[in-house]
Amino acid sequence: MSIFQGFPELPGAEDTPLCVVNEIYCCANSRYGNISTFTNATKNHPKINVTKDIQHHKISDENVSLYVDVEDKLLKKITSVWYKQGFLDALSVAADPSINRDSPFLAITASYVLKIANLVTSFRYFIQPHLKDIGPKIVSKYSRTRNWSTAPIKCIAWHPHTTKIAVATADDNVRVYCSEVSFVSTLKCKAQGHVSSLSWRPYSASELAVGCEQGVIVWTVDPNSMFTKPSSSNAVVLKRSGHSPVTDVSWSPNGDLLVSCCGADTSMLVWDVAMETAVPLRRVAGGGIVFARWSLDASRIFAATSSIIFRVWDTQNWSPERWCARGCRVVTACWGPKEVVLFAAKGEPIVYALCNMGLLSGAQTTKAQPVLDVTKVELPSGDIVGGPILDTCWDPTGRYLAILFEESYLVAIFCTTQLMMQMKITPCCFVCGIDDEMPTTMAFQKNFTEGACLTIAWSSGRLQHFPIVYG
Amino acid sequence: MENKNEIFSQRLVKAVLWNIVLQTLLAALLVFVIQVNPLHPLSWIISTFHDIFSWKMCLNVVLLGLVSFFQAYVYGSYYTIQRPKNFTRFSIFLNTFTMQNIIFGILYSLNGYFAMSLYSSLAGSNYNVLKKKCEQYDGQCLSEQSLFLQFGGMWMGLYYFLQVHIFGTTVLTFPHIYQEKLQQIKLVVSHIISTGFRKSFVPVLYFCIFYYLWGSKPRNVVSDVYSLYLEDPPLDNVVIMLTTGIYIGLWFYTSLFFISVYTMRTIFNIVLTEPMKFPIESDNKLTLCNALAQTSKFNKYLAALDLKIMSMTDANRRSEIFILSQPGGHPRNWNNLLEKCMSIINEFNKELDIIHGDGSAGEPDSSYSIQLKNTGTNASSLTSSLYSSPLRNMAQSPQLLLLKDHNKNKTDDTFSNAVKEEFNNFIQRLCQKPGISYFFGELTDTRLKFLLIQSQPLVWTCEGLATIVAASLKEDKYGIVQSDLPVVITALINLKQKLDKLIKPGLVPRKHFVNDGFALRLRSALISSVKRSLYKIVITFSKFIHEIPLEHEIQMAIQPFLFCKEP
Repeated sequence: MSIFQGFPELPGAEDTPLCVVNEIYCCANSRYGNISTFTNATKNHPKINVTKDIQHHKISDENVSLYVDVEDKLLKKITSVWYKQGFLDALSVAADPSINRDSPFLAITASYVLKIANLVTSFRYFIQPHLKDIGPKIVSKYSRTRNWSTAPIKCIAWHPHTTKIAVATADDNVRVYCSEVSFVSTLKCKAQGHVSSLSWRPYSASELAVGCEQGVIVWTVDPNSMFTKPSSSNAVVLKRSGHSPVTDVSWSPNGDLLVSCCGADTSMLVWDVAMETAVPLRRVAGGGIVFARWSLDASRIFAATSSIIFRVWDTQNWSPERWCARGCRVVTACWGPKEVVLFAAKGEPIVYALCNMGLLSGAQTTKAQPVLDVTKVELPSGDIVGGPILDTCWDPTGRYLAILFEESYLVAIFCTTQLMMQMKITPCCFVCGIDDEMPTTMAFQKNFTEGACLTIAWSSGRLQHFPIVYG
Repeated sequence: MENKNEIFSQRLVKAVLWNIVLQTLLAALLVFVIQVNPLHPLSWIISTFHDIFSWKMCLNVVLLGLVSFFQAYVYGSYYTIQRPKNFTRFSIFLNTFTMQNIIFGILYSLNGYFAMSLYSSLAGSNYNVLKKKCEQYDGQCLSEQSLFLQFGGMWMGLYYFLQVHIFGTTVLTFPHIYQEKLQQIKLVVSHIISTGFRKSFVPVLYFCIFYYLWGSKPRNVVSDVYSLYLEDPPLDNVVIMLTTGIYIGLWFYTSLFFISVYTMRTIFNIVLTEPMKFPIESDNKLTLCNALAQTSKFNKYLAALDLKIMSMTDANRRSEIFILSQPGGHPRNWNNLLEKCMSIINEFNKELDIIHGDGSAGEPDSSYSIQLKNTGTNASSLTSSLYSSPLRNMAQSPQLLLLKDHNKNKTDDTFSNAVKEEFNNFIQRLCQKPGISYFFGELTDTRLKFLLIQSQPLVWTCEGLATIVAASLKEDKYGIVQSDLPVVITALINLKQKLDKLIKPGLVPRKHFVNDGFALRLRSALISSVKRSLYKIVITFSKFIHEIPLEHEIQMAIQPFLFCKEP
């Protein structure tokens, strides 16, 4: 029997789920319904809708054709290409006989140099195949956001101590919404492109780490300042050669260390942000590190590589424990209380739990076991749910687990209870969008005291707060 | 205390041994690479082994040992002795010409000379003897290339010494996470080799220019002393120097020398900065509190680092802090630790006061520390009555101590003091005269820089203390930490306010601008850690914050932390 049969029925086509209050699933008309009729828990939460017109104009591949071509001199053309795109592209411009008509000698030399360079690069890719993809391709390949490259909201992050949320939009701006003040700070600087992840520093009100193509940008957003666009002097760019594009950043729960991962780099960097120094953590095999997750007490780090290998680092002596997933790379993982980590492999409808069995057996042994099977089924209403997992999210108290599926537009929320080292997962509810919205990414609010509050970004640019209130 | 530097010296010996092993391996690798003979692999290996076990290699090892012991001595003298505080231009200038520095300079250049001749002999070149048989005359001739190389070796040693010890700041930088030693070495080797080859370009260029201008003098001196003939065309000619290609050799050997010195430094850094576990309670070993209180810079670093690591990861030792001593029931461990941490924080506060003092009036600053003392004693006497008997309270009455202090101050106020004060005033007035003030006036930014560079233990102490305090909410069964909450919060708020003065634009006088990247980064690290510590305490105790007996000003100062409004 599929676990999805225990879920409450989805509302009708006109209605949309709004919240769960004391285990009662509350839905209302999608146009006229208001969450405040059920609960006031999210009354002061910022209302966010990222529409096309609030986004800033960005030069992308589509609108580049708007510009009129200007015929430049050859040398100028080459230098500008070199400056913008790098040495190899400049070489290919010089070698191209259709552009370089004036000096055939240069063209021939350039073409030979280009051949040698291509040989070198192909040899390099032969040795390190994970480097083949470049920049945004890597990010979009490993991102847990659905359609990362086209989604209006690329990623979201809740502040750990206050009702403040950072939203990265498609134009690579990061907007910070706050519950008390109505204005929105927009963070943008030149280096900030292809934003892949956001992370607020714990025990700090203002510091936000943004993982982007060039490296990590740590913004200091003064909560008392009235500037809507803080200047880039408030940002520190942390970068290192070979560590680009950054696919994930996460602060330690103590707020002292920052871990950045790059899908094309086999080492993950542990930064001391104030001193701007990084220590690489690296072990043989596994390819690039895609993402890393700190356990709640900062004693362990779960690091997933681009291959089937993943590692659990012990942060006391910084040594890893190596694990292999069955089949495919680990796509998502989240820590809960009592050092339990839930993870799922790509293309598989099963959630595994890795728990520390030390208390039971006496020895420090850990074991991975499947705890939830979410094979794809068709609900009585005709909707499809389940299948390969895209993203999972566990609320900080460890009571609710939200799962995003690759092939379903529903978000499934489960109740989780840990009894005697045994994980018990029971159905809670589904959340669906209005019309044909798809969920792109989600996050649990970290300081929600009334229960749990799941924030879901929909493909329309709407951000929904879905509170589960009890007591 | 005799065992003060015991930890340090043990580690130095360990570092020297590590260093000898690694350098020998590097030298063996060099021999292996230089004798490359892929067509005859067997003879390649045999000749490599032959060279590795030859007397040259033995000499190399012995020399390496000597050099590393000497390096260990350098480190020892830099890191265990409190360095003199020089804040005037004149004393900084004088300080570069101390006996110690001159000896170090000579030792380093000797080191460079030996390293160069050794590497060139290992590489099998014939440039390691000054004399050679003349081709045209009958007798001994000068081999100028080897003179060039050996002289270059001395130059490189001196260059490195000047760059690192005179113009650089010698601070032991502790990595923020400590991996296994072998792992660290593995990560760093390729970096060392590439920087060694890159950084040797500039000194070789300098040396070539130097030799072009002054090369004839050493050549003449050496040929006179050894009465050698000059046969080859002189090297201080651009064309000849370029055609002989000796500069490539020099670059190669210089790179090897730099790689060896960098390796040595890295190994010393890795071995010395290893975190150490101090026991909380012990009869014969150095305890955490005692280590924190030591004047030895190195032990203080280790202890502060251990405090931070312990507070975050080691629940067992943390619980030892929260226990009461068995006969008596005093929270001795906690009181001891708090006292040591407070003295570190207050000492820094005092130094900051001195720096702020000469910019503005000293009055408000000095009142701060008095305030702090008052609140501290008040709070402890107020709350200690909650759990301990009044008898013990009298025995450790802070009022009594204050009284004693007061009396002492009075007796000290004698005639000789007045004269001294007058003399000091005169000196100070003299120092303010324009020309004199340039050389003998105190430089505020140097003082601030000096203070900031030494602030790393403070960063760890703040974080460690805050984490212990935050952990006490759940782990402290007797509530001993809670009674001292006001002291901790007040000290941290005071520190934060003083540090804020350093960064507020407009409030900072021009001369406080510290023009040193390392010091600036440490400053931001310090500010960030103090703020995080305050956040940690305030957020953890946010529900009970109004029950903590705090001064009104302090209560106002923690409001932004409570509402997450402090940037």
